[in-house]
Amino acid sequence: MTKKCIFLIALWALLILPGSSLAKDSDDLLLDIPFQQIQEQARDTKVRWYMFGGWAHVNDWVDTYVAGEMKKQYNIDLIRVPMDAGIFINKLLNEKAAGKKIGNIDLLWINGENFKNAKEAGLLFGPFAEKLPNVIKYVDPKSMTHDFGYPVEGYEVPYGRAQFVFEYDRASISTPPKNMDGLKEWIHSNPGLFTYPQPPDFTGSAFIRQIFYAVTGGHEQYLSGWDPDLFAQKAPLLWDWLNKIEPFLWQKGQTYPKDSAVLDTLFSRGEVAFGMSYHPSHAQNKIQEGSYPNSARTFVLADGSIYNTHFTAIPFNGPNKAGAMVLADFLISVEAQLSKYNPDKWGDFPALDLARLSPEESKKFQAVDLGPATLGSDILNPVAVPEIPTEFLEALEQGWKENVLDK
Amino acid sequence: MLPYLVLFCGGVFLTVCQSFGVLTPLPYGGGALDAYGKLMGDPSFFASFFFSLGVAAVSALFSVAAGTFLAYRVWQLPRQLASAALVYKIPLILPHISVAFVILVFWSPSGIMSSMAHSLGFIQTLHQFPNVLYSGWGIGMILAYTLKGIPFAMLLVMVLLVRFDIRQVQTAAMLGASGLRIFFTIVLPRLAPAMHTGFIILFLYSFGAFDIPYILSESRPGMLSIHVYNLYFKHDLARRPEAMAILVIMFCFSLVFIIVYSKIVNHLDNGVRKL
Repeated sequence: MTKKCIFLIALWALLILPGSSLAKDSDDLLLDIPFQQIQEQARDTKVRWYMFGGWAHVNDWVDTYVAGEMKKQYNIDLIRVPMDAGIFINKLLNEKAAGKKIGNIDLLWINGENFKNAKEAGLLFGPFAEKLPNVIKYVDPKSMTHDFGYPVEGYEVPYGRAQFVFEYDRASISTPPKNMDGLKEWIHSNPGLFTYPQPPDFTGSAFIRQIFYAVTGGHEQYLSGWDPDLFAQKAPLLWDWLNKIEPFLWQKGQTYPKDSAVLDTLFSRGEVAFGMSYHPSHAQNKIQEGSYPNSARTFVLADGSIYNTHFTAIPFNGPNKAGAMVLADFLISVEAQLSKYNPDKWGDFPALDLARLSPEESKKFQAVDLGPATLGSDILNPVAVPEIPTEFLEALEQGWKENVLDK
Repeated sequence: MLPYLVLFCGGVFLTVCQSFGVLTPLPYGGGALDAYGKLMGDPSFFASFFFSLGVAAVSALFSVAAGTFLAYRVWQLPRQLASAALVYKIPLILPHISVAFVILVFWSPSGIMSSMAHSLGFIQTLHQFPNVLYSGWGIGMILAYTLKGIPFAMLLVMVLLVRFDIRQVQTAAMLGASGLRIFFTIVLPRLAPAMHTGFIILFLYSFGAFDIPYILSESRPGMLSIHVYNLYFKHDLARRPEAMAILVIMFCFSLVFIIVYSKIVNHLDNGVRKL
């Protein structure tokens, strides 16, 4: 028994005691040395990128194009690890609690509340964004100051832009609704054919935020930060709107699709008339994949369509921070952004400032054919509205549960 | 013993601590019992709790009843057929998540059953198909748990049946007992221990499991495991104590359930004449 106790204490000590402080120092050094040296350090290493793995075409793009270029340019082996952001945040939290100084995640695909959670809990390495040459050269600094109203401060690097669109089938609906009121009317006159994924699903949550903006008089009032009084005063308008359409939803609003993948399936089988996605090219990808009909199209409502930027970040205990920085820099390079923009690859919108490109580069972006289902920036940009600060997002998700689901 | 202590007790210890707001990822501002207080004042928590209990109880009861009956029938089969009856083990090797998908593919309003009903002319549009998965009664989950539970109960019961002396049944039959009477007075009491074990395992598993509800649960009332998952993975870290408090309540409930159930069974057994 005594032996066991001693062993246990030893094990506990191993977990708690700080590891070698050497790793820490060399990490801080990375932030001071020139980028060429970082590239030298990164050569011939392995980089593990933890990212959302639910899209086959995105996985393909990473495994073929990105992995191929990393191998060619730096002889870096890129290993893509599919994992939802909420899950790797918890993995990192556990590693931090256990005092694990060297983890196994090099780069994260992250944004929004996951970024806030990670940064608040001290899970991120940085600030490193301003060190990357492609960020300095091509990214508008104003576009990376905040992520869902939470200050970025260089702890993550933009790599793509997304905007909320609705999806419909042109073969069954000739003209989709123009604005929120039109959508509401449509839902009332076509019971059972509309629904939205259940918040806190990412897409469903974005849908209710968009309604929130539309029925409470626009987004400007929320951008200055969390204001509980304002929320208490405005939110009932949203609950009222959502509760009024509920009896006319799919399954009479008794149940909601668990996530956007379920909604995609319902839409592709014709159980509902509208899909929705936070990625403008999602419908086009689905057509090319063969799961949506060729007549699928997308539209936005005149009241506004939320956009956001997705980012990459490096965990505090990443074993190969130099390699991760090189990969993050490559992802925001002109060639990678152009490849990513192509709907045959992914169709993800560039996070670069197109005004900073040379005329030839900018022409290449304009020449990309987005496909018939994806809207051009001439339609998307005029209705684009920024994301709400995370505190509102959390309050909206919780409020939805209390006032719509459990009412 | 040591891995048990470290992994299991360590996990429970951390869960309990975090439910009181201690050792949480972010410093927790509230009082130790805040998370529990919040749950106790939330009617939707109780709705989920009792709904999960209901789904678990119905599916475990049905699995054990059907499993016992089927095991008895298989045991009575002639030897040649008995080996063919081994197909009952197939759902045992399927993971829960695949069984959930099987149910989804068969019973969703645009699924296989609906298409079949449509081609046979029973329904004209897919909206006429009866609402199996979204009825508000958890029927989809009960179907899936039962599909997994029946062969499990059969397996447990079979072990006892193999050692059961068939001459007892033959003697009773010769003395003129009906099939039903033989089953209920001679066979069933012998199988009771396996049935009780099967019920406890299936009931507690379905009460806390996540995979089948993840595919098949409805929005309201939601299953407790999905609620915990959302709180843990999809909400602000500040709500970690709430997620942990639900887990602690589920754990305590399971412990109390096992103790009370075994006490009742023992009590009943003492009143029964041993064969």
